[in-house]
Amino acid sequence: MKFRKVTALLLAAALAAGSLAGCGSGKSAEDDSAEAKKVENEVNKTASGEEVTLTMLIDNGTEPDGYEAVLALAEEKLGIHVDVEIRPGGDEGDNIVKTRLASGDMADLCIYNSGSLLSALNPSEYFIDMTDSSVASTFDEAFTKAASVDGVLYGVPFGSSSAGGVMYNKEVYEKYNLEVPETWDEFIANCDVLKEAGENALIGSFGESWTAQVPYLADNFAVLQKEPDFPEGFTAGTKKYATSEAGLRSWQKLAATTPYYNKDYLATNYNDACDMLVNGEGAHYIMLTMALRNIYSLYGDEVNKIGFFPIPGDTPEETGLTVWAAGAIYGNKNTDKVDDIKRFMEFWVSDEAIDAYVEKVLPDGPYHNGYQLPDTAYDAVKVDMQKYFDEGKTALALEFLTPVKGANCPAICQELGSGQTTPEEAAAAYDEDCKKQAVQLGLDWK
Amino acid sequence: MKKRKRLLLLGDIIGMVSAIVIFVFPFLFMFINSLKDRREANLLSMALPKEFLWENYKKVFEANNYIVLTAFKNSFLLTVLSVLGLIIVCSMAGYVLQRRKDRTMSIVNFVIMTGLMIPPAILPTIWVMQGLHVYRTLFGMVMVEIALQIPFDVMLYRGFIGTIPVELEEAGYIDGCKRASLFGKIIFPLLKPVTATVIILNAVGIFNDFTNPLYFLPGSKNATVQLTLYNFMGQYSNSYNLLFADVILITVPMLIVFIIFNKRIVDGMVAGSVKG
Amino acid sequence: MNKKKIYSTWFLAPAMLIFLIFFIIPMITSLFFSMTVWDFKNFTFVGLDNFKMFFSERSLNIGIKNTLIYAVLTSGLKVILAFLIAVFLSSAIRTKNIIRSIVFFPNLVSTIAIGITFTAFMHPSKGIFNKVIEFFGGTGIDWLGNINLALFSVIATDVWKGVSIATVIYVAGIASIDKTFYEAASIDGASGWQRLKSITIPLCRPAMNSVIILSFIGGMRSFDLIWAMTGGGPGFATDVMASIVYKQYAAGFYGLSTAGNVIMFVLIAVLAFPLQKFLLSKEVD
Repeated sequence: MKFRKVTALLLAAALAAGSLAGCGSGKSAEDDSAEAKKVENEVNKTASGEEVTLTMLIDNGTEPDGYEAVLALAEEKLGIHVDVEIRPGGDEGDNIVKTRLASGDMADLCIYNSGSLLSALNPSEYFIDMTDSSVASTFDEAFTKAASVDGVLYGVPFGSSSAGGVMYNKEVYEKYNLEVPETWDEFIANCDVLKEAGENALIGSFGESWTAQVPYLADNFAVLQKEPDFPEGFTAGTKKYATSEAGLRSWQKLAATTPYYNKDYLATNYNDACDMLVNGEGAHYIMLTMALRNIYSLYGDEVNKIGFFPIPGDTPEETGLTVWAAGAIYGNKNTDKVDDIKRFMEFWVSDEAIDAYVEKVLPDGPYHNGYQLPDTAYDAVKVDMQKYFDEGKTALALEFLTPVKGANCPAICQELGSGQTTPEEAAAAYDEDCKKQAVQLGLDWK
Repeated sequence: MKKRKRLLLLGDIIGMVSAIVIFVFPFLFMFINSLKDRREANLLSMALPKEFLWENYKKVFEANNYIVLTAFKNSFLLTVLSVLGLIIVCSMAGYVLQRRKDRTMSIVNFVIMTGLMIPPAILPTIWVMQGLHVYRTLFGMVMVEIALQIPFDVMLYRGFIGTIPVELEEAGYIDGCKRASLFGKIIFPLLKPVTATVIILNAVGIFNDFTNPLYFLPGSKNATVQLTLYNFMGQYSNSYNLLFADVILITVPMLIVFIIFNKRIVDGMVAGSVKG
Repeated sequence: MNKKKIYSTWFLAPAMLIFLIFFIIPMITSLFFSMTVWDFKNFTFVGLDNFKMFFSERSLNIGIKNTLIYAVLTSGLKVILAFLIAVFLSSAIRTKNIIRSIVFFPNLVSTIAIGITFTAFMHPSKGIFNKVIEFFGGTGIDWLGNINLALFSVIATDVWKGVSIATVIYVAGIASIDKTFYEAASIDGASGWQRLKSITIPLCRPAMNSVIILSFIGGMRSFDLIWAMTGGGPGFATDVMASIVYKQYAAGFYGLSTAGNVIMFVLIAVLAFPLQKFLLSKEVD
């Protein structure tokens, strides 16, 4: 018995010692944080008689600077304090959002994609109906469509729209006297020139598989030019990528990029790629315009070395901009704070809130509620992208036009882009993958 | 004899050098890179930093409203409670399972073995926890960690008890020991080496557990240390320097626990040999 | 002597109760949900459709093959390497405690951190491994990008990280061997190799069996390191059963993913139970 007691005591002592040592270095920091809290609370009280605290679940890929500025403003103007919970992005992030919704444990405010990923959440069960909100009418059709399921609007845009296409280094283009291509063949010709000169014609960041899908996803404008009813047919299960000429073409384009990537493209990640692009270590990077934000935060005004053009179509007419609707803030309807949540969401899209946001993080594209782009906006957005909006040559990416998006899309694109499959195989694999989503959504696919 | 001594010294040297090269080097890499700025860390090189940025560690502490501190508290509570629970329930179970070889026991064995094989069913577990009103509580999380480790620990205890001669207990039984004190007085003290193993493995495993707290203990107030890695591992903005600084920071407590218990294993072994 | 009397079933109760509530009941419910299309709140019963769909999964073949390679190689390497290390550490060398601690080092760090670090080492152009190879005049290897090599690179990392647990189990096992055996053997003039063969190996059999079973089953269902290092890629080249199940789970296909879980369980059970039976039968004699 004595033996055991001694063991137990030692265990306890050792664990206690371990925990003290672990926390020792952070003691003073803890005190600071407590003090900071106190100050915060006092501010809160003076701003409004009562304190309201909401929770917000956001992915770790969004720069905090922007939303922290807006949250500070909300605390001052609305007396609403928001506690931020950070979740991972990607697959894990989807998983967490779904698990927390399903288990009734969602935060008051949830930042998540609009489009097909939203319809996979079964939003009518969980999110506040914003259709009759005072701000609903200010959103453009693209966003309203993307953030609605069965005609009910659930979200307000978190940020601006963005686009997918080719980002290029203007200095490299000048060096080799290249012109912005208007067709796919011209684009490949440019790549050939660069490749022969020993440059990395295309930067690939397949080390993060989600980036591998952009060449395919951003080709949707061209698909819709050839086959305008493709999304409807795809949703209904009558049109398939493998059997549609227009659809298959996107996969062929992705496969055609393979020879031009940097040698270590399978290990390169998104951040490396942004560094390479701005430093001229590669000429093109097929990506969403949100990459500009990343480059800006690291390199400041050098971001204007970057130009942008859409994934070219086979003819100049087929060359247009594939647009991503903004992600959205959704309000949890299963709480007793619905009014405060709505108040916050309406505030989020007010001009003063966006002003505060834009001061910290510049937009990746035009706003959905007509907010005027600031003069400081990136050239790639202000000039290169805006051109297509002015000409009306834009289309939403497929994920905003159909609720069906295959979960394995990144891996299938990565497989094709690394030369393991043919475009035909990849298209067929993607069709098969989408079937699972269709079954889950209750669509009648065979 | 001299030859033997030289051989041992050679063993010492070769052992130390290879152990350090193979097992310490990666940590040196993390440490060096945790002191660089973002761009420099991104080069993933072993070169010393141009400038030692100790404030990276401060940044890690300050990130997200000092969440690292909350996380340390939660992780320690979770780890200590789970490990204590595991030692008690698993040593008892392993003991009976090893000593009795009848039908009931083989069924129990089978059931426990299944636990080693099947990945836990996450949503149904949440469903059960909600029914018992322990979802999102530390108690519930401790129970899940215990349930998930039971098969492994029972197996360890059972395997170890197999090396303890039955005669000891038979003698104790004839002396009139009660069942509980038979176990407590005679068997449990002999289990010290394996208990030390259980403590280290489980403490490290639970402290480093990433996915389970993610599902069963959500909420920023409940964050555990592993979740803080996500602050620096954005899909769109990796910062290797801060990430590695966080890794080092959250590994230190385990290192301390390990250094202490490492000695305990040795003590246990010495006690075992003295006993013989 | 009445075994039932000394070894009361009550000793089992706490462990079994916790295990039942927090593991077995959820598992049994999941059997039911594997036959539904489920989103946690609502479900539609679809019979065996999920199983059919799971078997038509394109990457399933490669997943099963990879799972087996992964399990056999990681467990085999751990069983052998850890035994050698443990014997080395149980010898009379003076630094054995330090070395054992050092070998345990990787285990103190979370899998994700290890995955990130080794992915960095294995970077084809910037990574240390290739820098060293190039320094000695070789050509760099695409450790994780080459689809024929990627899985083995992850396996090597897994062994590096996991060999310590196996070593600890062996060390505990060897330490529990009665020293008088060795004394008797050296009086009889047995060589080191003879002592190893006829005392250490047979008497640490229980430890060895634990190592074999644990690392084999661990290998069968493990995917966290694969996930951290390759995400199952490039493409599907390093997918294993568990990562396929996880991906479906993450996509919200709860019914389908549960069906995959059931299939995985069957596959593991078919291999692991006979293995365990075989090992236990060896242990008795």
